[in-house]
Amino acid sequence: MKHKTYTEMSEPKRIGRRIFVRKVAVGTGAAMALPYIIPSSAMGRDGKVAPSDRIVMGLIGAGSQGTGDMHNFMSKPEVQMVAACDVDKTHRDAIKAAIDGKYGTSDARTYSDYREFLANEKPDAVILALPDQWHAIIAIACANAKLDIYGEKPLSRTIWEGKKIVEAVEKNGVIWQTGSWQRSEAHFHRACELVINGRIGKVRFVEVGLPNGNPATISHPVQPVPEGLDWDMWLGPAPSVPYRGVCHWDWRWILDYSGGQLTDWAGHHIDIAHWGLGLERTGPVEVSGSGVFPREGIFDVPVEYSLHATYANELVMYFANERQLPHGMGVCWYGDNGWIHVDRGNRLFASDPKILEEKIGDNETRLYVSNDHFQNLLDCVRSRKETITPCQVAHRSISTALLGEIAMLTGRKIQWNPDTQEIINDPVASRLLRRPFRSPWKLEGN
Amino acid sequence: MTKKYIKPLILLTLTGVILLVTSCKQAPVSQAPYQALIITGQNNHTWQGSSPILKKILENSDLFSVDIIQSPEAKADMSGFKPVFSNYDVVVLDYNGDAWTAETKKAFEEYVSQGGGVVSYHAADNSFRDWKEYNKMTGLGGWGNRNETDGPFIHWKDGAFIRDSTTPGIGGYHGAQQAYQVTARDTVHPIMKGLPTVWKHAKDELYSQLRGPAENLTILATAWSDSAKGGSNRNEPVLMTVTYGKGRIFHTVLGHAMGDSAYPSMECVGFIFTLQRGAEWAATGQVTLPVPDDFPHFNTESKWPQFRPLTLDEILANLKDYHPGDTRTNLQDLTNYIRKNYDSGEKYARVESELLRFLEGTGSIDAKNYICRELSIFGTDKALPVLKKLQKKEETKEMARMAIERITTQYTNE
Repeated sequence: MKHKTYTEMSEPKRIGRRIFVRKVAVGTGAAMALPYIIPSSAMGRDGKVAPSDRIVMGLIGAGSQGTGDMHNFMSKPEVQMVAACDVDKTHRDAIKAAIDGKYGTSDARTYSDYREFLANEKPDAVILALPDQWHAIIAIACANAKLDIYGEKPLSRTIWEGKKIVEAVEKNGVIWQTGSWQRSEAHFHRACELVINGRIGKVRFVEVGLPNGNPATISHPVQPVPEGLDWDMWLGPAPSVPYRGVCHWDWRWILDYSGGQLTDWAGHHIDIAHWGLGLERTGPVEVSGSGVFPREGIFDVPVEYSLHATYANELVMYFANERQLPHGMGVCWYGDNGWIHVDRGNRLFASDPKILEEKIGDNETRLYVSNDHFQNLLDCVRSRKETITPCQVAHRSISTALLGEIAMLTGRKIQWNPDTQEIINDPVASRLLRRPFRSPWKLEGN
Repeated sequence: MTKKYIKPLILLTLTGVILLVTSCKQAPVSQAPYQALIITGQNNHTWQGSSPILKKILENSDLFSVDIIQSPEAKADMSGFKPVFSNYDVVVLDYNGDAWTAETKKAFEEYVSQGGGVVSYHAADNSFRDWKEYNKMTGLGGWGNRNETDGPFIHWKDGAFIRDSTTPGIGGYHGAQQAYQVTARDTVHPIMKGLPTVWKHAKDELYSQLRGPAENLTILATAWSDSAKGGSNRNEPVLMTVTYGKGRIFHTVLGHAMGDSAYPSMECVGFIFTLQRGAEWAATGQVTLPVPDDFPHFNTESKWPQFRPLTLDEILANLKDYHPGDTRTNLQDLTNYIRKNYDSGEKYARVESELLRFLEGTGSIDAKNYICRELSIFGTDKALPVLKKLQKKEETKEMARMAIERITTQYTNE
């Protein structure tokens, strides 16, 4: 497709300017607030938010999750969605229709290559909803472009990549919100506040139930790449393989792109377990366990997994596919004085229902409150404050799951130093902390 | 692998026919520490199929050398059937048939009460309803017109075993064959230690509503007998131990074998391994066998069609023509083998040299690429020359590069 140049976009009718954002860096340096041209549609039919006050956003990765995230942001009057990027023309056409349909215009811009997106677009914030093998490369490129980011979980495919994302976000002083939206649901917040304030006593054990894997045994013969899909670009840093119809959605069942349900859901329930225990910025000291890998088909992520993580305070987290757990999905903390179990669908239970009536006083530990995960990013884009799930926190939930993956792949007990983020005395397991990228892909600056 | 050799055992049967039983041993020099005797020859199941498999399973533990003794046919004269039980550490019963002579029964009772080991396998607990001491050894039994006069029903409910002595009714039936989950009820017993709490057993009968004296009985594991499949809607005992005098009995109801085809229940690693451990415990009171990597999981079956893990040669031979979409069993077998033999020493060095030989051979590209992936995790510098050759070939260059990069790059905190 023909990409619009910056000059073309700067036609006089495109008035308005980028929202004034003081990007005061958390770490070093301050980003510039670049002038930006908002399309005519930004004049806004509802007119509730002046164009100059709007947060201009783009989307990279316009599959089902990215499209859903975009609609959530686009429902906010203060958001102006201007552009999207996807390697599949079907996705590009659909996302352009969605944006244009929302604003009643025809000037949403689309790109097939994120590098062109970044060369041409200067939004305030970007939504990233990509297969995991792409997370680090694109997140770091966006952070270096000084874009604030709504990034889908898990943060990264490997622990090393996650560390690099955190470094880039801190270095550039951009705001990061992870798609761990359970944090913005009142009953998860409530459960965590009860646990962290000792309402079930000292917690020594926590169970985390994640979805069961379902191995698909249908055959996936090599087939022609669908028209409009840039398969090589979809693979990116992952090994080059012929197209077998495993792309959107089903990529999650292949280790080159994902760790399966375990890594998909770590950013939800392991994150919540950490939050309730004040462990969200550290990690386990030992991880061990076993998994079952499919014996048929081409998918290779574990379909059953049963893992233990021990933390420095001797707390043990047991995380497994939910059929193996008495409470099933969600998080169940066991304290000296009872248990609390929380899951989606407003499910909040305790060994004694009275525990759930407990008040939390002002002098006790109060956890970050957000009642709208998307609004939380927008608020933080303006305030330059940390979101409810910054990348540093997301890095710790996925790191725990990835250490479990390493334990399964090597069949070894992993000793971990959560401060230096190194595996102790195990060069073999340490190899799996990072993943060779296919040429020419690499992380910016590495 | 060491070369296999054939050791003929000559057994005299009652009729004077010489029965040659071959014994495949992997280690020609070392003698297995314990002696086992399988009793067979009459059964409502295909004992001609099951007994040789039981023999293989026991021998493959490297703990037992095994003799098989075959009884006279049904309704034939039993007077000469006199196994010398005391020559053995464990007697494995694959027998459901005519009564033994009083002399043989007495010899067996003495053998067990004085400390002999017994394994009661599948339909052995159907046998000998009228032999009281035998039923004390098996603990629970079924069929043969067993009813409330034979002892209670026993099942697990709400965290405890229910001993039902009041309900009348026949003992022993089963629903349709199916794969089912086995749940440990005793996780500290040496036979059960280290096993998953729940594991998936391959397609088998599930004996339900057994009854018997149930004295000195420890139920190790149960399985849910699903009424939708014609079962009892109870958690039925499937693995048990019994003590009789100084003797130890391991009782497994698993392992149905019928007809000429394969017996999935006996190929199940869960069946094989609990039988091996059960026999070891019955023989010695202890268990030394470590849990195999591919023991069945919560909801995943696992089988050993050779009744033992494959050798590296066999695994690599199976892998030779691998293409994506084929079964991944051979890949998983290889991964498990490498992990089990990874010792950063001689054992792994031998494995790696086999893998490198495979990489230089005529195996499929996809098999080679899989091995490159494994080497990316476990490989040493010795793999580099071969990997560098593969890096020059278009179809293997990426995986070879990945392996080289991981082997040569020290992960640092940078």
